[in-house]
Amino acid sequence: MRGTLVTELALRSYPTWWKDRYADEVRSVTADLRAEGRSGTRLALDLLRGSIRARTRTGGMPPVYRLWATRTRLSIAMATLSWLVVAPLVLMTMGSPSLHATGGRVVSFADGPFLIGSQLQLFPAHVGLPRPAPPVTPAGTIVLWAGLAVVALFLVTLVVLAVGWSRLTTGIQRSSSPHRRSAFLLAWSPGFALLTDVGLVAALTVLHPSRYHSTTGGAMVPVNGDPAAVHVLAVVLAITAIAGWPASIAGVAVAVKRADLAPVDLRFGRTVSVVVSALLVALLVAYATWGVGLVAQARQAAGGGFTTITYPNQALWPLMLLTLAGAALLAATGAKVAVRTWRMISPELG
Amino acid sequence: MTSKRLGRTQDPTILVLVSLSGGPKHGYAVIKDIEAMSGVSFGPGTLYGVLARLEEEGLVEPLPADGPRRPYRITGTGAAVLRARLEITVKVAEVAFKRLGELGALGA
Repeated sequence: MRGTLVTELALRSYPTWWKDRYADEVRSVTADLRAEGRSGTRLALDLLRGSIRARTRTGGMPPVYRLWATRTRLSIAMATLSWLVVAPLVLMTMGSPSLHATGGRVVSFADGPFLIGSQLQLFPAHVGLPRPAPPVTPAGTIVLWAGLAVVALFLVTLVVLAVGWSRLTTGIQRSSSPHRRSAFLLAWSPGFALLTDVGLVAALTVLHPSRYHSTTGGAMVPVNGDPAAVHVLAVVLAITAIAGWPASIAGVAVAVKRADLAPVDLRFGRTVSVVVSALLVALLVAYATWGVGLVAQARQAAGGGFTTITYPNQALWPLMLLTLAGAALLAATGAKVAVRTWRMISPELG
Repeated sequence: MTSKRLGRTQDPTILVLVSLSGGPKHGYAVIKDIEAMSGVSFGPGTLYGVLARLEEEGLVEPLPADGPRRPYRITGTGAAVLRARLEITVKVAEVAFKRLGELGALGA
């Protein structure tokens, strides 16, 4: 009974066209193999591997334009949305760098990744005049360059995605699909989330007290504004900001699934997915360099005489690197499938 | 002496074609036949992935189903492709055996 359930669950992961064609036969073969004592778990794993192949390869898929177009759209979504899920997390785990040397705190005349080449001043821990800080280790310089590359790649990808998103919304408007309206609204979910956040920030600014008077006990009492409403709005803002991100991604994913895009928009989406996946791989390389540089910096600075760079959440980098590698793999697979499926349907379009 | 690595390099496509060259078979019979001739155990996910691809390429074709069991048979093109592939394999095997024999003669 349990084996049948596992088989059914594994079969669900296959595309519909595959299930329509082979599911009955596979059930029968699986039942025969189970009856002779084969492990249900191994059979289910084999089916799951088969479902990944069925979804990523073109073999056996019927020559129906609608099927190929759906697969192209989903592959584009997989390639682009992987970046949206992971890249902001990467940036958050990096945070803003701070500088230290054995003798005290180091201050730069520039901030963030623009520390490269800037003049560093050491402010001694004990009272004393600031003096030129010791140099950054060679690995530290690499860390700064890699950090700059991560930020630059993030911004470039954001622009590419914005262009792709704009084309998606235009494509949905142009389509003749019955789901056009709902797909358009769903595609706009990042815009709605952003507008909500902006509205809440504006309301917070207006309602925040700006004038106070002090009581005889020394407490500050607001004269204007609405502190209770500010408190509630701040909580709502935190919730919408955090929940809006995955909700926006899910909204766009559903919109892409429903949208009946014209071939020209599909071709554009395929190109966007290839560019985004390539940028995600570049981001992975830059982030790995950044992390390895931090480890190397710690060794080089062990003897003292160097300025070291630290990031608030740098301990998370191995975990984030793995997550990023997984996302890069997903994106690359999505882009590859998008290219492959587009190659199959483009001759049909003449 | 066995090698797991060599076991994994067995091409499922060729094994399925070889199995069907002995006559039409349904999925379970193909799996059992391949097991008996090569010791390789396929799961249904692997087998039907290969069958879908071979069917699309016109190397095998389905026959009318007997309940949930549908037999498949190798087509003329499939037989020709298999023959061409096996001829290369035989040539490579002959060279390999000859070289291994020379190696043995050298006392390695």
